[in-house]
Amino acid sequence: MSGVDAAGRVLVIALGNPDRGDDGIGPAVAARLEGRLPPGVALLVRRGDLLGLIEDWAGVAALVCVDAAAPLGEPGRIRRLDLATDELTRELSLASCHGFGLAEAVELARVLGLAPPRIVVYAVEGCRFMGGTALSAAVAAAVAETAERILAEVGRLLRPAAGVAGP
Amino acid sequence: MTTKRIKVDYMARVEGEGSLDLHIEGGRVTAARLGIFEPPRFFEALLRGRGFAETPDIVARICGICPVAYQMTAVHALENAFGVRVEGQLRALRRLLYCGEWIESHALHVVMLHAPDFLGFPDAIRMAAEHGERVRSALALKKAGNALMRVLGGREIHPVNVRVGGFYRVPSRAELAPLAEQLRQARDRAVELVRWVAGFPFPPLERDYEFVALRHPHEYPLNEGRLVSSRGLDIDIADYETEFEERQVPHSTALHSLLKRRGAYLVGPLARYALNFDRLPEHIQALAREAGLGPVCRNPFQSIVVRALEILYACEEALRIIAAYQPPAVAAVPVEPRSGTGFGCTEAPRGTLWHRYDLAADGSLERVRIVPPTAQNQPSIEADLEAVATPLLGQPEALIRERCELSIRNHDPCISCATHFLKLSLHRR
Repeated sequence: MSGVDAAGRVLVIALGNPDRGDDGIGPAVAARLEGRLPPGVALLVRRGDLLGLIEDWAGVAALVCVDAAAPLGEPGRIRRLDLATDELTRELSLASCHGFGLAEAVELARVLGLAPPRIVVYAVEGCRFMGGTALSAAVAAAVAETAERILAEVGRLLRPAAGVAGP
Repeated sequence: MTTKRIKVDYMARVEGEGSLDLHIEGGRVTAARLGIFEPPRFFEALLRGRGFAETPDIVARICGICPVAYQMTAVHALENAFGVRVEGQLRALRRLLYCGEWIESHALHVVMLHAPDFLGFPDAIRMAAEHGERVRSALALKKAGNALMRVLGGREIHPVNVRVGGFYRVPSRAELAPLAEQLRQARDRAVELVRWVAGFPFPPLERDYEFVALRHPHEYPLNEGRLVSSRGLDIDIADYETEFEERQVPHSTALHSLLKRRGAYLVGPLARYALNFDRLPEHIQALAREAGLGPVCRNPFQSIVVRALEILYACEEALRIIAAYQPPAVAAVPVEPRSGTGFGCTEAPRGTLWHRYDLAADGSLERVRIVPPTAQNQPSIEADLEAVATPLLGQPEALIRERCELSIRNHDPCISCATHFLKLSLHRR
């Protein structure tokens, strides 16, 4: 998956580290999406250096991201944020130790005029992020539904009415 | 007596989690502490009993910004223990990989983490609104460094292609060719970056550091050399423990390193530059002079200029290596494990990184010692804080806080590496 050319009109980016508990939601959802996305829709898995995302989404018309969200008391809850109307607060996203999480990368890309016109984020609330741990039961139970909702999202984005050209 | 305490509980734009605690009593700074509260990660302990071949990939996990530094230092130390020398194109490829790490790490720090301080922005995002072209240029520089890491290391973060004796796979000339064009553009961007940061307003401060860095007979140091200092130290890296010691301090989960005979010292770009100015190409020396630097720079705030110069050097060195590259016949030289002790010391972006491995006959690790650059710089960073805060004691707390945070970022501390992020507390009485 990694290294796929991001020239597709719709790009799905799964964020997270599978070795840090619920931070692994992104890669887990990506595994479910593998081979199921429409032709021409690229799927990337990223962890760590999120500044590099700005390079990944160059030229992309619509971006769908899946990432873990910080604990708010409902682990496994799936939130859909359309960044045309919703705000991806830094508090909601998990801070990376380098200070550049998804919210910062999107904000920086917007300031630089490099952000995709449409960005939809699926944020799955986590509850444990310790190194060396697997997904919590609540988050593991949300993987399949998140993947299905992303497939449906991509389908909607590819419809002509969405204003995003197909492959 | 008036006592004041300035405290920053969680510092931003540093790698990892730390705090700053400043105590002022009777008009003078009585304590300046860089608190490091990330939990220790016990790498030295968890390596015990592991095989030598696993070591480069395990130590790479110490840092997501400078994994190559850990890998390079480990392989050099293990090869030292086994009596193996890696020369020629394999050595050059290692240097090329290290150039990639210097470029991406320095570009991130100079523009995204450090420059906002000098220009009065809270972060790089706000700075990008006014200096968008500079930020785009930094992203392109970082991308060039990442490309080197990806092609040589297999991936950009935590490369997987480094092994004791060389690499698992070496690139073809055709694989390196596209990097050269990217690096030529990066080189031009680096020159612009030097000129941009040289114009920043630098608070006047000269610190009497003892600089410590590697020195090589011919090269600006990356992978090897003798350990030298600005006060006459000149030792083989195997003698590190006779001259340096580590001490525990209550406010830090990282050990503090000191010269046994003289105390605090400084590693990193300022030290490398001061001790190896003559190893820089003449046109980079000329650019340094144009940027207002002499052969030695003792103003820690100007470290941003030295980092930019080192980005330029790394771009040019990478281009030189790529131009001369001929794929070696083998990706790695044979290695036969044996019992013994090996030492490695390389120049991570943040400074000298030293490793020692004691090995059993089967090549398993019996004892490991890893001394990262930030641990070595902690006492000097704290001394900087005192020097920076003292002339400002009558000034508003916000200014003292701001200047102290900048002072810490001068050294691009990698707290995750050192743990063993940053909070400022100012205590004023």
